[in-house]
Amino acid sequence: MTIDWLTVGAQALNFLVLVWLLKRFLYGRVVRAMDRREAAIAERIRAADARMVEAEAEARRHREAREGLEAQRERLLKRAREEADDLRRTLDDEVRGELAEARARWRAELEREQAVFLQDVRRQVATHFETLARRALAELADAELEAQMARVLIERLGRLDPERKDDLARRASGEPLLVRSAFELPVAVRRALTAAIHDAVGKEVAVTYERTDELACGLELRAGGQSLGWSLDGHLDALERRLAEGLARVAGGGRGDAHP
Amino acid sequence: MRISPDQLVLWAWGPVQLNATIVCTWTVMLVLVLGSHLATRRLSTATRLTRWQNLLEVLVSGMREQIREVSQQDPGKYLPFVGTLFLFIAASNVLAVVPGFTAPTASLSTTTALALCVLVAVPLYGIVERGLGGYLAVYVKPTVFMLPFNILGELSRTLALAVRLYGNVMSGTVIAGILLSLVPFFFPVVLQLLGLLTGLIQAYIFAVLAMVYIASATRTHGGH
Repeated sequence: MTIDWLTVGAQALNFLVLVWLLKRFLYGRVVRAMDRREAAIAERIRAADARMVEAEAEARRHREAREGLEAQRERLLKRAREEADDLRRTLDDEVRGELAEARARWRAELEREQAVFLQDVRRQVATHFETLARRALAELADAELEAQMARVLIERLGRLDPERKDDLARRASGEPLLVRSAFELPVAVRRALTAAIHDAVGKEVAVTYERTDELACGLELRAGGQSLGWSLDGHLDALERRLAEGLARVAGGGRGDAHP
Repeated sequence: MRISPDQLVLWAWGPVQLNATIVCTWTVMLVLVLGSHLATRRLSTATRLTRWQNLLEVLVSGMREQIREVSQQDPGKYLPFVGTLFLFIAASNVLAVVPGFTAPTASLSTTTALALCVLVAVPLYGIVERGLGGYLAVYVKPTVFMLPFNILGELSRTLALAVRLYGNVMSGTVIAGILLSLVPFFFPVVLQLLGLLTGLIQAYIFAVLAMVYIASATRTHGGH
């Protein structure tokens, strides 16, 4: 166990040189590299934090914008819904009005057609009745309808009370008495009728004859707005009334079926 | 049988002798410095590292952590001294398995030189850290009567450092030599492996003890 002091000195020097060399080539470099890396990582973390903060702010802005848009959408939807409701109500009212108008039109048309129909019925009934009555009288009683009707009118003239006769005379003083008939009166009948009128009212009264379609199978004596006569009008009116009632009943039943 | 590599003189010029201890020390220095230089030529500061750089960083940061643990201070200023103690002793002991190479630490001259370096470094660090008065005050604590004992303790622990390392490494080399002459081949190999472990442990012990001494000199309160 010897100590060579020269070697000790050399080794101490060697060691110090080694300390310096390793400090230069190893520790300094490695520690610097680690420090730089740590700094770089810290910087990246800091940048990431900053970006995170920025991203959060951005996300918050987006969220707020989205909520704003949602609110706006709700408002727009609400307004659109209200407008749609208004429009629907308006359209409903319009449709209801149009329906009511259509119904009124339809009813008016129906009534007009009904009136036309009744008129037609009335005319045909009168025509057929006249034909039937004429034929029945001719075949069964060997009598003419016109003559019979003139006879009835003559009888009624004869049965008139004096006031009525005076009234007729007064009315007929200014203008001729008008005898209206639904058909052409034969000359004999006219003559008989004229004579009866002269007997009842006075001989100075002028009598004129007129054929008209207004009368349904009848005969009428008209003087200054007053008339005396006989026709089927009254019966036809009653018939028309009953027909109209029947039609109304049918129409009412039909409506009831259609709208329970 | 040669006990110390000091005795193997390779070249002499007057009183100056170039013995195996110095040559092997230079070899270790060359290996360490060249290896460090090659490994640290292109250090990356990015997050992707080469394996060599990773190994170096593990080594250096491990040493820094050890120094920080022992000294409870920033390891920066102690790392070159203590780290080099560890690397030099460890490299010397590990290279001892190379045939023809003798560990410089098997020479009492080398271990004495290292212990003397520690002996000088302790007051140097202490004075730098606490000032001359603050450092010298440690020797008269707790009383002035302790001064001779403290000085004696300082010297004896230096001696212990030197002899402990020398004894361990030298004994390993000597025992391997003796066994090699008695039982060749297998048995000495096992002992060599054991010597590797012992060598590394001795390097660690030497460096940590040096650090403990330095820390006790630089710490404001308390001793070791």
